[in-house]
Amino acid sequence: MAFMIVAVTIFFALVGMIILVTQVSGLNQKAAALRGENAKLLVSKIADSPEFSCGNSFGTSMGSCIDEDKVMNLKSMINKYGKGSFWGVNGIEIRTIYPLNRGIECTKENYPDCSVISLIKSVNGTGVSNFVSLCRRDYSSGISSANCTLAEIIVTYNG
Amino acid sequence: MAIKNFSLPGKLRKRGFIQISFAWLFAIIVGAIIIVFAILAATKVINLGQYQTSSESQAQFGVLLNPLQTSFESASVTSMAAPSETRIYNSCSKSGTFGKQTISIAEKSFNKWPLVPPDGTSFQSKYLFSENVTEGKQFFLFSKPFEFPFKVADLIYVTSSSENYCFIDPPSDVNQELSNLNEKNIFINSSSSNCPAGSIRVCFDSSSSCDINVDTFSDTVKKDGLTSSYYGNALMYAAIFSDHAIYECQLSRLMKREYQLSNLYFEKQKTISLEGCSSNLGSDLSGLGGLLSSFSDSSSINGLISKVNALQSENSYADCPLW
Repeated sequence: MAFMIVAVTIFFALVGMIILVTQVSGLNQKAAALRGENAKLLVSKIADSPEFSCGNSFGTSMGSCIDEDKVMNLKSMINKYGKGSFWGVNGIEIRTIYPLNRGIECTKENYPDCSVISLIKSVNGTGVSNFVSLCRRDYSSGISSANCTLAEIIVTYNG
Repeated sequence: MAIKNFSLPGKLRKRGFIQISFAWLFAIIVGAIIIVFAILAATKVINLGQYQTSSESQAQFGVLLNPLQTSFESASVTSMAAPSETRIYNSCSKSGTFGKQTISIAEKSFNKWPLVPPDGTSFQSKYLFSENVTEGKQFFLFSKPFEFPFKVADLIYVTSSSENYCFIDPPSDVNQELSNLNEKNIFINSSSSNCPAGSIRVCFDSSSSCDINVDTFSDTVKKDGLTSSYYGNALMYAAIFSDHAIYECQLSRLMKREYQLSNLYFEKQKTISLEGCSSNLGSDLSGLGGLLSSFSDSSSINGLISKVNALQSENSYADCPLW
């Protein structure tokens, strides 16, 4: 009888372990779904955070507008922002869509003749994107004006 | 090979000892061990379930905070309903470049609260203003941008539907803003006698004894005998809805972010100057940075106001505004 009890216990322990494994895999899926949801909501709002937003610097306040001059300087300060941990993401990239994206990475040397700002480079992960206006200040012939292009901001998260 | 009968010697048997076979003794011992392990495992599974529920709630709460980011609207509002009585523990740390905000959420289980708050979820870019512990089944969250002089962050105020706030004769802008929010637990009245029973009374420039007194001349909020200084309505609401220690900690975090933003604008000003559009904001921005690095508590905010106002004025008249 004692051995029967031990056998029954082992059986229930195995059943319990299977249930636990199923629950844990469900948890991982839930965590990934939440990270995805967070990234989707974040990408729709990140352009309005003070480190990116145009604010009133181009005459009127604009939603979903990224200040290119500010972001280029943010690129050199990104270590202070924990390379994305500040926003809880793995990567942030801004790509010009129109005029045509030539895939040239922006550096201090070639700015503004470039079309990709890799703020935080991400090797792997899932990316979610949103369309934004990418504006910078143009100052030619003594006249200051806003130069805006259509761009895409891509936020990468673990998932 | 099993011993069928494990019997005690004759003398002991005579004294009334129970005769137990080895199989029974073995079964009892093993059975007891199994039951103890089963109880321990069940307790662990229940704790794990509670931990899982609170972790999920915390993550969902963090996700819920994203839409509260404002663009050019003055305030944004949302609510959160919990399936059972819930506690939101708010804690804040000033350490690091930006400090951090930690939120723990616990649900009442078997009519009992967990003895220790669960491990929280931390955010570096969020600023939640609430009491240390906010309890209820429904929570109201509203956010407002804090500009000093440029936008620093969106401040999020968390209140429970079980706590009513009665604003007595507030200034017209506050009255208008709170009315527009349409939060069910915020009441605006001309006198305290019209406030709902048990509500937290918030008085403005009044000598009457209220739970919270706002002095709009000295820009201070007195709550629980402690005074907090503020700048603008966003920080005023923060001081009203939050615990004094949380307010002070979050304000220090805001000033840390402001410091980084002032550096960012300083660099931007250098970039656009190279392109031919110079502004005179550089020296004031570095001056603001210097003042921010020595920020200690809310009383230091008054020392920053003149610099902030000067920057605001210079930026609004600049050919190429920085923000």
